[in-house]
Amino acid sequence: MSVDLLLNRQNHDGGWPYVHGASWTEPTVYAVLALLAAGEHRPASRGLDWLRARQVRDGGWPPQTGFDESNWVTALVALIPPEQLGVRAHARSIDWLMGTMGEESTITFHLRQWLLGDSSPITGSAGWPWVRETASWVAPTSLAILALDKENSRNPGDALRRRIAKGRRFLLERMCVKGGWNHGSVRVYGAEGRPYPETTGLALAALRGVSGQAVGLSVAVARDFLRDCRSADALNWLRLGLMAHRQLPADYSPPEIAYRTLIETSLGMLVAETQKGREILWG
Amino acid sequence: MTAKNQTRSANPSRREWLAGAAAAALAGCGIQQRPLVPSRVSIVKAPAYDQSVYEIMRRLLREQLGDVRGKRILLKPNLVEFEPGTCINTHPIVVHAAFEAFYSLGAASVRIAEGPGHRRNTLDLADSAGYFQTIPRFEDSFVDLNLDEVTRVHPVRQFSRIKKLYLPNTALGADLLVSVAKMKTHHWAGATLSMKNLFGTVPGGIYGWPKNVLHWSGIDESIADLHLAFRNHFAIVDGIVGMEGNGPIQGTPKPAGVLVAGADPAAVDATCCRIMKIDPLQIQYLRLVSGSQGTNITERNIRQLGESVDSVATAFELIPEFRRIRLENT
Repeated sequence: MSVDLLLNRQNHDGGWPYVHGASWTEPTVYAVLALLAAGEHRPASRGLDWLRARQVRDGGWPPQTGFDESNWVTALVALIPPEQLGVRAHARSIDWLMGTMGEESTITFHLRQWLLGDSSPITGSAGWPWVRETASWVAPTSLAILALDKENSRNPGDALRRRIAKGRRFLLERMCVKGGWNHGSVRVYGAEGRPYPETTGLALAALRGVSGQAVGLSVAVARDFLRDCRSADALNWLRLGLMAHRQLPADYSPPEIAYRTLIETSLGMLVAETQKGREILWG
Repeated sequence: MTAKNQTRSANPSRREWLAGAAAAALAGCGIQQRPLVPSRVSIVKAPAYDQSVYEIMRRLLREQLGDVRGKRILLKPNLVEFEPGTCINTHPIVVHAAFEAFYSLGAASVRIAEGPGHRRNTLDLADSAGYFQTIPRFEDSFVDLNLDEVTRVHPVRQFSRIKKLYLPNTALGADLLVSVAKMKTHHWAGATLSMKNLFGTVPGGIYGWPKNVLHWSGIDESIADLHLAFRNHFAIVDGIVGMEGNGPIQGTPKPAGVLVAGADPAAVDATCCRIMKIDPLQIQYLRLVSGSQGTNITERNIRQLGESVDSVATAFELIPEFRRIRLENT
């Protein structure tokens, strides 16, 4: 049923739209990953062709054809294994991620702040932005960590490990006071920020293999969300985040909820495969 | 002639023409540039979110709008957070009342669209805010502006530092973009009304969640850019229950019991500020779009219809950083 939906929504150019119309990178990546996991190689291959044709000269991907700059969706494309995406295209996507960080972590930004009299300590953390020349946020950072961690399991290296560690430090710094994550603000409009279920699940997935009090607190928050949440997108990420820490209750079965978007359907298929023991989002 | 002009009521009064002529004369002397005709802003009392809102909305739009027959209308509410029972989001009854009223006035189509700034699951957010319950077949009328097709636009004048502004085709293609905003204080901008509500037209699919590029480009300046990017808009502000204090999310409910509307969003927002007892000339984005003298948002250049500001004004609590913008302090 879910595979049928993906097949029906595929555009003639091989990509997928968010809803309808032109193909976008994000839904295309999720559909390709889901179809590869389901053994539907032919439509996935057309999606891969669409993606390969859209790689920008700097090694990254734009969100859609009409926008000419690479951005956060590059991390998603880098989740596709090199043997499927193409070894060179994949290597360039990893290089793009390694060379990208939130503006607040750059030397020029620190220098400017210092000249303006800001003496805040440099923490050594560095996340990833949605678009270049802006600040780091939880979702793009988590996706970049997942992609780099997967690469590190294939080709381990010190530079990769250091960059992943910096990204994870950023996530821990941006955790809400009582655990869990929102978009990335510990304080929102001057008050204590409250966590969201979807970003809590996503950040926990990126912190796979990390333990400690902060992660424990956030796992507890995620399990609370899992009990009451009725959003398919949020439940997908909560389940992945909890599975990353082997904390998804063994007897858990998702409630009857509407899968309203193509991404929710694709990710739902990936979650089901992960629950069967296939490690799709991590190496 | 723009769609905005087409939908504005004709026949300004003699007083309006005199004010316009005076403004034009002053413009000729290089003293000030506008307005040629005072903007008409309606204030109507609406005590509760109940069936009466539907009739009030019909009356309000009939008073404000010219001929909308055959036009494609896009309603843009303010959907921010999953917190049912709070006053963060535009109330679904206000949106549904506008939806029905535009159809009753002969609109060819009425769609509802939003692109929230923090949360990606827009339909779930609308569901949680009561839109599915209140508006029949809501999903058929709704467009997620974060995921819509986009076009790069080049505003006639740019205030912010944004290098490339892309906007959703659904909003750009509407004959009339109707900002159906909430009357709230704002932690960074002072007040969030119909103009700030246009942040939700900026596509998250391009810029992310949050749309941080707008913050880096300057919040007030980005609001002004969006105001100029959409020339065919109309403003309705839901002040039946607004938000005071630490808005736009963490504040507390503030019943003001009004709906405010007009074809000039800056004049509508300035009127809302006066109702909230905030000095609109202290709101930076209003200053940007109305010139250094704030000419088209001054009281004398707004023709108030319905209730007077004084009869409905109620002071909205402000966080300490913004107490300086209280009308009585300026």
